[in-house]
Parts: sequence; structure tokens; C-alpha cells
Amino acid sequence: MIAAGPILLLLALLGAPLFAIIAASAMLGFSREGIDLQALAIEFYGIAEMPILLAIPLFTFAGYLLSESGAPKRLVRLTRALLGWMPAGLAIVSLAACAFFTAFTGASGVTIIALGALLFPALHEAGYPEKFNLGLITSAGSLGLLFAPSLPLILYGIVAEVPVEDLFLAGILPGFLMILFLSGYSVWKNRAIREKLSDFSWREVGAAVREAAWEIPLPLVVLGGIYSGYFAISEAAAVTALYVLIVDVLILREIPLRQLPKIMRESMVLVGGILVILGMSLASTNYMIDSGVPQKLLELVGSLVVGEFTFLLLLLVFLLALGAILDIFSAIVLVVPLILPVALQFGIDPVHLGIVFLATMQLGYITPPVGLNLFIASYRFERPVVDLYLSTLPFFLFLLLSVVIIAFWPGLSLALLA
Amino acid sequence: MKGLRKILSALERAGIIVEDGLLVLILTSMILLAAGQIVMRNFFDFGFIWNDELLRLLVLWLAVAGALAASRSDKHINIDVLNRFLPQRAAVAVRTVTHLFTAAVCALVAWHSLEFVRTSYEFQDRLLGDVPAWALQSVLPLGFGLIAWRYIVHFARALAGLFRPGSAA
Repeated sequence: MIAAGPILLLLALLGAPLFAIIAASAMLGFSREGIDLQALAIEFYGIAEMPILLAIPLFTFAGYLLSESGAPKRLVRLTRALLGWMPAGLAIVSLAACAFFTAFTGASGVTIIALGALLFPALHEAGYPEKFNLGLITSAGSLGLLFAPSLPLILYGIVAEVPVEDLFLAGILPGFLMILFLSGYSVWKNRAIREKLSDFSWREVGAAVREAAWEIPLPLVVLGGIYSGYFAISEAAAVTALYVLIVDVLILREIPLRQLPKIMRESMVLVGGILVILGMSLASTNYMIDSGVPQKLLELVGSLVVGEFTFLLLLLVFLLALGAILDIFSAIVLVVPLILPVALQFGIDPVHLGIVFLATMQLGYITPPVGLNLFIASYRFERPVVDLYLSTLPFFLFLLLSVVIIAFWPGLSLALLA
Repeated sequence: MKGLRKILSALERAGIIVEDGLLVLILTSMILLAAGQIVMRNFFDFGFIWNDELLRLLVLWLAVAGALAASRSDKHINIDVLNRFLPQRAAVAVRTVTHLFTAAVCALVAWHSLEFVRTSYEFQDRLLGDVPAWALQSVLPLGFGLIAWRYIVHFARALAGLFRPGSAA
């Protein structure tokens, strides 16, 4: 029995599905306490008792549909018309377009695949060095994580029992800070290459706006609907899914009807993977809270740490290490219930904690050795993964700097909530 | 032996069709019900009483059906630290262990979910008005039982690959 923990850890590191690891540890915990193992099923059934979960499959499906349609191309054209005149314009265009797209697709690697194919050759043609391009696209693939309606924001809200509307607002300024830093680096880095500055043209803007006329209302519908109090989050998700479905399949006809089942299945494989982990962790978390793990954690941290500053520092180091091995969704459902009570004791706002948590986990996507985006980019652009370790490094450092600022400046996250 | 294999692969193909069909059905009804509810509420000042509960159950079913679909090609979320750096044969050997473990855990989950459903049957719980709860909840034992089966198949394939390098692993 005592050996069970290390064995499960080893199995997890060897690549066993995380939901099975969590289920096994919950069952071990229950049986140790003499609780009937039906409890696992009862806790899992809790998935049917959280109305807001509905938002997850609906937003995910909408994001997958968008990425299969012509939307990425139109988005790049529009951003280029608006921002392309700046120095290092195309690099900034790439950052902005990726961030916007990731907000809708939930940082599942879809961004690199859908937008990378357009931006990578375009950057090359404009004379940017390849190493820079690889780093840029790979890091930008998870950039929009802090913008509504991204999946991790919603999931954090559910797990931490914080209003998702507040998180949507709180992510805006920190998200822009990250874009600002990476844009600044891109401009400085490419000061030597003379990319021909394209002129700003109202005609091109007009044409790009007309072309993207169906997509432009989307953020307005989602955010406007939520903040006017007209929709709940899950209703906004339903409207988004239905809207995208009608536009891409019936009006623009970019996605043939017979391709729909495939897109539905692909997106629901991701959703099923996330929800099954959530369901199992409802059981394991309950067991851990019952057996007093958060209190023990609090005592331990309390003996190591005095004050908010050192706590945040410790948290950042811990989350960086966590992000290097665990994906963002599992990290949210497993770790947030444990560190939230501790963070509250140190006077940290749960909304701010969420933004710090997600911003740090975003770095995990490009942290060697197993950052997801590194492998997706390596596969997509046919480069050895070590090349990607090196090319993302400067971007990683600038993102790290912005994460530190976000963590120690709670006002940045909370300003829009006041 | 050959006949058995034929039956198994026919079952697998049928399972895939049913599974895809279910995913499409659940997701489509979800979109229509959720969007329909907004229209009804705002324009007709009217809503279906069981709509919310039905939507929540659909999320549960979708979670299980999606998890089942993910198990088809072992696409569950995992930590992929060591596997990427192992030599191929060792990676296959590791997979036989993790697949067997997953199959065993899912079989246990299925068994205890069955107990849960049985309890709910004995208490004659009702959902959605007057639908017996056990019927709606039986998605749990059924889903996890099928996931266990999938991982047994993955296990058998990995094992075969271990002893006959070059064959499908």
C-alpha cells in the first residue's frame, strides 16, 4: 500500500493516461478510508451537476470549426491590413493573429497548425531569419490563453469557483502585456533587416473587413452578450457554436457537410480527454480535502515562507516546474484545489491567482523537454525539436519576465474588475 | 483463430461507427437545445422545464463518449516525458505495462459504477421528470467497460509487437 504512490507516479511518468492515474489514486484513497468505491462513480457523476461545463464542448467545437474554415486566412489579412505598416509589422501581425485565434481555440495546438502554415512562409518571404520565425510561431501558439473565451480560463473558474466573467476581464491587460513584450523584442531583433514597410491603406482595410464580415461580430457577440447580462457563459458558447456552424457550413460553404462528423469527433476527443480527468479529479480532490492535504500543505508552506512576496516567488518556481511536465488542463483540475486555500491565507486574490497560474502554465507549452508546442511545431515544420528549444529561448525569457510582472503586480489583473 | 479475429475487427468497425454517430448526435442536440433555450426564453417567454437538466446529462454523456473516442487511438492526456527519449522496443515494452494498468483501472471504475447504477435502481431514483435515473446513469459502467476493452486490445497489440518486431504495435 505504501509503495502505491511512487508506483503511480512512475506509471504517470511512463505515459499512462492521467485520468487512470487519478482514478487509481482516488480508489486507493477511498479503500484506505473504508469508503465504498461507488463514491468514485458518484463524484464522477458530479459532471452532470455543473451547468457551466456546457461551455467547454461548445467553445471547443466552434474553435475547431473556425480553424478548418477560411477564417485563419481572413484573420491574417485583416491583422496585416491594420498592423502591417509598423516596423517588424509582419511579426506583430503574427503575434496578434495567433493570440486572437488561440482565445477561441483554447491553446490546443490548433493555432500552430492553422496559422503557422500561413505565417511561416510569409515571414520567410519578408526576410525574417528562420530561427526567429520558428521561435515566434511556436511561442505565439499559446499566446491568447488569457483572452476570453479561452478554455483554461473557463476551467479555472469552474475549479476555483470564481466567476468566469471576472476572469475574462482580468486576463485582458496581462495578455496585452505579453503581446507587448514579444512585439518589442521582435521590433528590436529585426531592426537590422529592412523589411519594406508597407503603406497603410484604407482600401485594403475596407476589403479585409468586408471579407471577414462574418467573423468580426463573433467577439462582440460573445463578450457583449456576456457583459450586457444577456447570455450566461454557456449560452454564449451555444450561440458561438451555432453561429460558426451556420456561417461556415451553410453561408460561406467552406466546410462540406460530410466533413462535420470528423471535426466533431476530433474536437470531442479533446473535450472527452479533459472532462474525464475533471470527473476523476472531483473524486481524488474530495478525498484529499477530507484527509486534510490542504492544511498540511499550508503548514508546510507556512513554515517555509513569510509573507506574500516569498509565497508568490515559491509559487512561480513550483508552477514553472509543473508546467514543464503537466498539461494546463490537468494542472488546473489537480493543483488549483490544493493551492487555492494556501494562496487565500497569504492574501492573494483568487482571480489574480488564476491569471498567474495560467500565465505561468502558458510558459509550459514552450518549456523543454516536453512543451506541447515544441513538438507540434517540430512536427509541423519538420525541424528537430532541439532547434525549437533554441529558437524559442529568447521568447521564453521575455514571457518569463512578463509572468513575473503579472505575478507581483496584482493591480494589472484586477484593474478592470474595480 | 482467424474467424475470431474477423469478428473482432468487424466489431471494432461497428463500434467506431456507433461511437461517431453518438458524438455527432449528442453534440448536435446540445447546440440546438442550448441555443433553442435562449430563443424560447427571450422571444416567447417560455422554456422547457427539463432543458437544463437534459443539457447537463448530455455533458456527462459527451464526456464519456469523448473519452471512449480518445481511447480508440490512445489519445488520452498524459505526461510524455520519458517515452520520447526511449528506444523503440523499450517504448513498446513500457506501453504494454501502461495499457494493462489503464485497462485494469477502467474495469474497476466500470464495476463500481455498475454498483452505483444498481443502488440508484433500488432506490428508484427519477430524473427528467419520470425517467428512471439508472437508465441515464448506465452510460458510466458501459463507457468505462468499453474503454477497458479498448485498452485490452491496445495491450494485446503492444505485446504482439514486442515479440514480433515490425508488426503493428
